[in-house]
Amino acid sequence: MEHTRILLLLYIDVCLIIGFYMYLRRIKKLIGFQLGTNISVVMGGMISLLFGVLLILQFPFHFTLITILSTSAGMIAGASFGRLFDYQTFVTGLTNGMLVGLMSPMIGTVIEMPNLFIWFMHVFFVLSLITIIISIKRS
Amino acid sequence: MMLFTLNLIELGFVYRIFKKKHLIFDDRFIKTMCMAITMVSSFVFAIYLELLLPSIERIFYLLPILTGLFVGWKFSAIMKAPATLNGIYNGVMGGIMGTMLGAVLKNPALCNIPIVSDTLIKTNMYYIAIFTAFLHALISHFIRYSFKV
Repeated sequence: MEHTRILLLLYIDVCLIIGFYMYLRRIKKLIGFQLGTNISVVMGGMISLLFGVLLILQFPFHFTLITILSTSAGMIAGASFGRLFDYQTFVTGLTNGMLVGLMSPMIGTVIEMPNLFIWFMHVFFVLSLITIIISIKRS
Repeated sequence: MMLFTLNLIELGFVYRIFKKKHLIFDDRFIKTMCMAITMVSSFVFAIYLELLLPSIERIFYLLPILTGLFVGWKFSAIMKAPATLNGIYNGVMGGIMGTMLGAVLKNPALCNIPIVSDTLIKTNMYYIAIFTAFLHALISHFIRYSFKV
């Protein structure tokens, strides 16, 4: 049960990201480039952080493979969110997702209370999503 | 060692293009591109220096961070004064992160990673080095492509 829960949380996160991407793709004409840069940076960083920490807690013996996987996931997420707006937001999201993705498995190996850290990370993720939606509505 | 030379030559090409064309584009474009290339290249050079040099000497301790500082200062000296701070900040941040990852790769017991065998550590080093070289080539390609369009 303990190991199934981590994979279930990862699946829920990926579904949230894909749903948010579809929502942004419908209204991308209303968003300027400043907000677009911030959205691509936050999304690339959050998806690579979640991938790195959750996968290194699930499979602790494959450090190199998980580093490569989380870096690729962060690059793809940042690039596809930045591709909606501009070329420069594309490059910014790609670089930021790559740098956070190379660092995130090291955080996952040194934490001492994994349950508390996972819940804190998900609360942080949902709060950043709510902040982005509020700032889209107000712009 | 070969990968280090390859990436150094590539960074030299990007720097030449920057110096030639920096008057054509606006401020935001130059700032974004300088941020991207500074972060990635200082990170990659810090990893290489940390893996290549022996860690016993006290002199080499600060060398990767100073390399990151130098790269950031050199790239951001093209632009105006407030952007220099941005370049130096990103360069130092990349240097510190590269030093951390290199130290963990050299000694996996720092992070409680259960790898004990000596050949496995060497294999991990080669995989990560080849992967970061690939990433640096990818970002350089994107930046050189962005100057054409």
